Amino acid sequence: MKASTTRRLKLAAAHCFLIGFIALILFPFLMVVAISFRKGNFALGALIPTGDDFSLEHWKYVLGIPYEEIMGDGTVRTVQATTPVLVWFWNSLKVASTASALIILLSGTAAYAFARMQFFAKTTLLKSLLILQVFPMVLALVALYALLQLIGTYVPALGLNTHPGLMLTYLGGIAIYIWMIKGYFDTIPVSIEESAKIDGATHFQAFVRILLPMSAPIFAVVFILSFISLISEYPVASVVLQTEDRWTLAVGAQSFLYEQNFLWGKFAATAVLSGLPITAMFLFCQKFLISGLTSGGVKE
Amino acid sequence: MSSVSLRSLEKLYPASGKNPPFHAVKGIDLEIHDGEFMVLVGPSGCGKSTTLRMIAGLEHISAGEIRIGDTVVNDLLPKDRGIAMVFQNYALYPHLTLFENMAFGLRLARTPKAEISRRVTEAARILGLEGILDRKPAALSGGQRQRVAVGRSIVRNPRVFLFDEPLSNLDAKMRVSMRSEISKLHARLKTTMIYVTHDQIEAMTMGDRICVMKDGRIMQVAAPLSLYHRPDNLYVAGFIGSPPMNLLRGRVERRDGTLLFIESAEADAVFIPLAGPLATLAASVEGRDVVFGIRPENISETPHPADSVRLTLPVELSEPMGSETNAYLKTGSGTLIARLHNEKRYAMGEPLAVHLNLGKAHLFDAATEQAIRP
Repeated sequence: MKASTTRRLKLAAAHCFLIGFIALILFPFLMVVAISFRKGNFALGALIPTGDDFSLEHWKYVLGIPYEEIMGDGTVRTVQATTPVLVWFWNSLKVASTASALIILLSGTAAYAFARMQFFAKTTLLKSLLILQVFPMVLALVALYALLQLIGTYVPALGLNTHPGLMLTYLGGIAIYIWMIKGYFDTIPVSIEESAKIDGATHFQAFVRILLPMSAPIFAVVFILSFISLISEYPVASVVLQTEDRWTLAVGAQSFLYEQNFLWGKFAATAVLSGLPITAMFLFCQKFLISGLTSGGVKE
Repeated sequence: MSSVSLRSLEKLYPASGKNPPFHAVKGIDLEIHDGEFMVLVGPSGCGKSTTLRMIAGLEHISAGEIRIGDTVVNDLLPKDRGIAMVFQNYALYPHLTLFENMAFGLRLARTPKAEISRRVTEAARILGLEGILDRKPAALSGGQRQRVAVGRSIVRNPRVFLFDEPLSNLDAKMRVSMRSEISKLHARLKTTMIYVTHDQIEAMTMGDRICVMKDGRIMQVAAPLSLYHRPDNLYVAGFIGSPPMNLLRGRVERRDGTLLFIESAEADAVFIPLAGPLATLAASVEGRDVVFGIRPENISETPHPADSVRLTLPVELSEPMGSETNAYLKTGSGTLIARLHNEKRYAMGEPLAVHLNLGKAHLFDAATEQAIRP
């Protein structure tokens, strides 16, 4: 066999493998999309719903648009969602983006202190942060509940069944982000900030005007990661948020799955909907994920 | 413009984790005059950079006092000390253009826009950076980046310039040209400059005065040539000059009425009969252990006009350099390097007669390592 033929075969094999791999990942997603466009609430069926099978009822329901449904006895009735899915969507967006922004603020400043300042028990604190983070937040659910209830008696806006209260619990889980950002700060030479201080900058100015712009990529990564995890976070949100109008998408979607009746169609439409802000956020943050932002400042 | 004065300056790093405490600077006193180019030179770990960083305000001062002009600056922030610093690794702001890099300090000080533009343009003209002010540091060569770092210092009109090994990251050719540029800059600005380097050639060629440091202490402060010709101690004698000064350990003894330097060696010890002023010096240390020092250029094949001593030693190695030849001559305990003005390559083991210029030789006390002076 000629060398070029071998090469072509290898390339084809590699492509087949990759396409198969991607299909494996995409298949469940396509199934969910298919379910959301299929009549009724069946988990199985054609991947591309056609003809009688195809229906926009779940999407109309989710988006709060009235639609007609044929009942069992042949009568037609108009259905409009009582459950405000779009409100959940808005709640999710609000909680996830605000909490992520606050997480960046908190973990960024904490990471700066850990990376650049000297203080008592620094290493011990840093390690214990990581160890504490090993326990999932769900394990502290009871404590979080009790704490929010207590806080709520003094500051009602931060109590149970409030979005700020939920965000407050999310701000407790930032150790991993502190470690990530600190790791990035450690790669930036201190002399650049020292030089800014000699140029007349205060500690804070050196942080904001020099270090932060150079750290945009890591902040974008932290923002995306925390945004994704918060949009899909269920356990804490389901306990903290008690009334339907405060729910997030993750909690609301779960409510379609009754014990006796799994409303797969509506669940799927909600799930696809919750993927939209994540995709949008990814596209937005991508422009910050550029390498080489810190190159050229110092001789490596 | 300002003088800088260091009084009993100390830096002690306390023990942290597994690191033992480290006494980096052990009480140094140094007066740097207004407009002077002072070079701090020494091997790594001698405390020269720490001293500079204390002057800059980047390191806390453990004890002692630093004055810039008439002000004690111990507790002032770097920005309030009237200094500018050029770092070894340039430390430019990679996300800003050259113009913004140089303007950063002025913007913080809320300088009017027109003034910023005037000063940055002027600095760019002096340093040959015109036309590339809208570029970012990543698009520059090493030499250009260091020029931007210098420019960033100039625009602030500091009272004192601090340089922390600014040329050691540049290639050899760029280093030579930047060296002369910084010297020219000093001549033009006439500002006090403190320059840290481990390179003795930079120290010798740039400094008005040189401060040689070792293990956190000052070994000698003097003008370059006086450092070269009159080293205070063994350390300075061995540090300054390339190839270094020849140092032979031995004793001063009187035999048959003549004062001799006798090398301490198992065999083939070198005997040097002392004459002239050196003999007068040696008389004061008769019977004591001393170190005899002589620079390679003071050993030649032809006799010197006065106080010349002839020695015949076997050649160990010779290095013809074109204009001169370095001959390594074997003595009882080591080697004597002679810088001979010829182009010969000597055979190994060939006996070579050389003349030592005793008028340029030095004696050091072997115990205290200090130069023996009248």
